[in-house]
Amino acid sequence: MNKDLEHSFVTQLEQNQNIVHKICRLYTNHSDGHNDLFQEITIQLWRAYPKFRGDSKFSTWMYRVALNTAITLYRKSKRRVITQDFEGVSFKIKAQEYDDTTEQQLKLMYAAVKDLNDIDKALVFLYLEDKNYKEIAATLGISEVNARVKMNRIKGKLRKVLNP
Amino acid sequence: MEELELLKSKWQEENQNLPKLTYDDIYRLLHKKSASIVRWIFIISIIELIFWILCGLLTPESNVELFHQMGLKKTISITYVFHYIIIGVFLVLFYLNHKNIKTTATVKTLMQNIIKTRKTVTNFVIYNLVSTALMLLFLNFYFFSNKEQLFNLLLTLDDSYQNLNLESFTTVFFITQFVVAIVSLVLIGLFYRVIYGILLKKLKNNYKELEKIEF
Repeated sequence: MNKDLEHSFVTQLEQNQNIVHKICRLYTNHSDGHNDLFQEITIQLWRAYPKFRGDSKFSTWMYRVALNTAITLYRKSKRRVITQDFEGVSFKIKAQEYDDTTEQQLKLMYAAVKDLNDIDKALVFLYLEDKNYKEIAATLGISEVNARVKMNRIKGKLRKVLNP
Repeated sequence: MEELELLKSKWQEENQNLPKLTYDDIYRLLHKKSASIVRWIFIISIIELIFWILCGLLTPESNVELFHQMGLKKTISITYVFHYIIIGVFLVLFYLNHKNIKTTATVKTLMQNIIKTRKTVTNFVIYNLVSTALMLLFLNFYFFSNKEQLFNLLLTLDDSYQNLNLESFTTVFFITQFVVAIVSLVLIGLFYRVIYGILLKKLKNNYKELEKIEF
């Protein structure tokens, strides 16, 4: 029975691992940090798994736990100086498809998003994942109105960063 | 906001560039954390065993000679063998704990194994402190009841005892013994507190996390 539980958990995580990888990429700057965060999220997910009742989709539940873990760990490491490695921002875009300005814009945008605080980053992440405000609100445990207001503020912040 | 929408439209394509873990990779990740703490307990206990064996081997000749002449050769040997057997048993227990935690499948059994490991470590520490205290107590009691023989023996082994009489020797010797005993017990206790204390605390934290994770 417990072996079954573990099997179904690992299988589901394997299928949905992209979500976790994207969060890791957004919240860490190096591959070591990426792997550490991935492991931490995996462990937290597994610990919380017995409480996952299946009344929401596995991926929805996963967004919540994974983001919570990332936010908590990010807070712990906040005192460390976080260097923004501009060229290292791993957002690879095939050069021939986009002109320089588009690529540059994307890089800047991605860097700006990475530079947001932990909570704002979680919100933008869900937004980029094409979640609607209702889903965003439910995942982060805030009201839908609050989510909209926050998102507007974040857009303002990003605009300021991009066009100083 | 134009740039954000641009990023969003490219966001989904990023999936191809993400790392891809297999079922086995994830399975292995799952059991790493507590296992590594318990592995450290196991490794440290082995190092400690080697340390004590080395200490036994490096005891000064004169000390060994003293014990032999005091008629303690057999007692000391038996105690050593007994001590190493018990440490060996603890080593096996540490190893089993490590193996159990590594292969644990559920949160509940993991929690049980953590409790078991903590108990084993505590017992190990208590055993070491109590056995050292008893050994020192016994030795000094034995020395005290044979203090004349001890004094005469020390006279033949070391000239510097010449200018002492039996009475002042007794006072100095046993006060020194007492102080040394207390200091070494405190040091050993401190050593365990620091080394195992840290590991046990980590295990405890892990346990607590397991207990009340709520998302």
